[in-house]
Amino acid sequence: MHIDFSDELQAFRREVGEFLDAAPTAAIREAGKKTTSVFAPFKEVMEWHRILHAKGWSAPAWPVEHGGTGWSVEQRYIFAEEHWKRDLPPLLPNGLQMVGPLIMELGTEEQKRRYLPGILSGEDYWTQGYSEPNAGSDLASLACSAVSDGDDYVINGQKIWTTLAHEANRMFMLVRTSREARKQAGITFLLLDRMDYPGMVVRPIVGLDGLVEQCEVFFDNVRVPKSGRVGAENDGWSVAKQLLKHERGGTALSPMLRRKMTLIQQAVRSAPSPNGGVLADDPVFQRDLGEIEAELVSYEAYERMILTNHPIGSDPGMPSLNKIMSTELTQQLGALQVRVAGLWAVPSQVNALTVASGIDPIGDMFDLTAMPFYLNARATSIYAGTNEIQRDLLARTLHAA
Amino acid sequence: MDFTFTEEQVMLRDAMSRLLGQHYDFDQRQQIVHSSAGRSERVWRQFRDMGLLHAPFPEAVGGFGGKASDLVLLAELLGEHLVVEPYLPSILLTGRALARVDGHAGALGWLERLMEGSALGALAHEEGHGTADITRIATELIPTDDGLLLNGEKRLVLGGTDADVLLVTARLPDGALAMLLVDPTLRGVGMECYSTIDGRRAANIRFENVRLAPDALIQSNADKAIQDIVHDALLALSAEAVGAMAALLTASVQYAGTRKQFGVPISSFQAIAHRLADMKLAYVKARSTLFYTAALIESGRAEPRDYSLLKAQAGRLGRAIAESAVQIHGGVGTTDEVSVGHHLKRILAIEAMFGPSEYHLRLVGASSVSAASAAPRREAMEA
Repeated sequence: MHIDFSDELQAFRREVGEFLDAAPTAAIREAGKKTTSVFAPFKEVMEWHRILHAKGWSAPAWPVEHGGTGWSVEQRYIFAEEHWKRDLPPLLPNGLQMVGPLIMELGTEEQKRRYLPGILSGEDYWTQGYSEPNAGSDLASLACSAVSDGDDYVINGQKIWTTLAHEANRMFMLVRTSREARKQAGITFLLLDRMDYPGMVVRPIVGLDGLVEQCEVFFDNVRVPKSGRVGAENDGWSVAKQLLKHERGGTALSPMLRRKMTLIQQAVRSAPSPNGGVLADDPVFQRDLGEIEAELVSYEAYERMILTNHPIGSDPGMPSLNKIMSTELTQQLGALQVRVAGLWAVPSQVNALTVASGIDPIGDMFDLTAMPFYLNARATSIYAGTNEIQRDLLARTLHAA
Repeated sequence: MDFTFTEEQVMLRDAMSRLLGQHYDFDQRQQIVHSSAGRSERVWRQFRDMGLLHAPFPEAVGGFGGKASDLVLLAELLGEHLVVEPYLPSILLTGRALARVDGHAGALGWLERLMEGSALGALAHEEGHGTADITRIATELIPTDDGLLLNGEKRLVLGGTDADVLLVTARLPDGALAMLLVDPTLRGVGMECYSTIDGRRAANIRFENVRLAPDALIQSNADKAIQDIVHDALLALSAEAVGAMAALLTASVQYAGTRKQFGVPISSFQAIAHRLADMKLAYVKARSTLFYTAALIESGRAEPRDYSLLKAQAGRLGRAIAESAVQIHGGVGTTDEVSVGHHLKRILAIEAMFGPSEYHLRLVGASSVSAASAAPRREAMEA
């Protein structure tokens, strides 16, 4: 057993650090500091995506043949750590981590040729059309229908929780193509090459944090080409399950959480304690902080087990374990940040949080981001399969073993 | 990054696992616990023959390795099988402490006997605070004209009851810590012997003006050496707790899948399923932390807070799993007749030794705050 701290890796760390120090614009830096979600401010993060792509670093986890970096697990960790250390906006996951790997695995050669370059370069942003008002945890009961008509499907219905759909130029979605067999057997997976098909309407939804991240999308006789179908008609459920794997694992989340913890640990040295003095010296706070620090290290350790293909990380319960652990920790850190920000978490500051608003925050950047991060993180235990569903799935793997 | 055992280690683990499977199932273990000696000479000989008494020592003193991962491997199995043999006190704590002492003939002689299985040792260190903090040691060792004088009281000395030699930690008049070897039959050594909740034999040991020869002192300025013992203890106890968690999870999954109420297995109830899922989460967290910490140690990167963090997670996650296991087993889980309650008691004993979770969590929190680099904050408010 060992962890590598070799000179080569230190040199790599320096190389990464020098680029990340020099490459981002001021707006990109500001967007990174104001990121309070998995989804960074759109315009700036896509600009950053294109800069990283020009350097060849936009997709560290992709295979080299598709434009990946060919980095080792250690190098990918170091890149993520250095990226987060500078509070740079994380590239949006939908293309790079979700639909991109899915197209690589299950797409036609034509789909790969057509879509992978735009995902890699940051020209395209894909929104995910899965959930519907009556199909959340019970996703297979989705009703948005696609009826075959020659070379096209005609879509009618509604999608919700389509993240940043108002900014997207493409969409991947699940549609109902049959109601005859069991509900899972009548679903088809589609890639939409545009968001402006006649009959498509996007309605942004304001979240608890006052920001627009989610949307609804309405389909009224929307005609889309069948060439966007991935897998066979009515086989979309197995395609989607393949994608869930990408959604729930395979990337390093812990460097983000570690950065959040570091910011908290810096803040507590001057944050007032309700008992007088600063929180850093408050024994009760130290104990509580210790618990979350311990949980974070345990998650960092588990993530390393996954990335090194250790038997602990290859367990069939891994996707659920990883999802539950990472999201619960995100929420714990959010709650801790709000506790540390104290009174300064209370002012509503949507305007100051907007990139390039020129509005100074009440308090500092830590205070400004505390409540939006906490509120946004409520969604983490709900999206991508609620944590209750994850516990069901996890328990099932125990009995199968 | 590599968190796996070597092929040799896997072979050793498999062999030890087979041995314990054959000779240390729960019923056999209970017989040993209830025997007059409270341990099994036969099992100890089997351990010796398999090389287990040599395994956790460096090759320089005749051992097979002695890396952190060796301790983890051995202790996980001890925990899984609820082993009450004095492996922790005699081999892992006393033995490894002796192996670190430089050039003391007496220490090396005792180490050889411990490794041969012809003698047992015990670590007399804890004084009642239930802590990993070595600055709490108050037992006094005073040099005299013809030797040394020892005064103080040690608590919960595991294996102290039938140890042939005691490794005692004490404070010299100049404040430095010392390690010494004490014959438990000497005049002035008083022993109060008892059984522990987790089936072990232990003693409170009082030293009253115990006169020792000068060579009883095996190391002065022993702060670092004693800290190393404590770190070994934290690693081994945590690994034992993780081994116990594995057994608890397996037993609970099996029980919930076979026990029927309302005509169906209780595992089909979501309340039970989610409890089992939480147990698995806790186990995976604890075991990942264990291997990660072992890798840090072997890479020379472990700080005191890494040991504290591991012990805290093993203790609190272990307790959560054990209490859930008892709950899932229902009435039968509250009896002496099934293993889950015994695993719970072992985890509670581990919690009490070398600092409970809350103590270690506070250390982790305090050290993480002092380690974070300072940054000016709330300038806008102060300006």
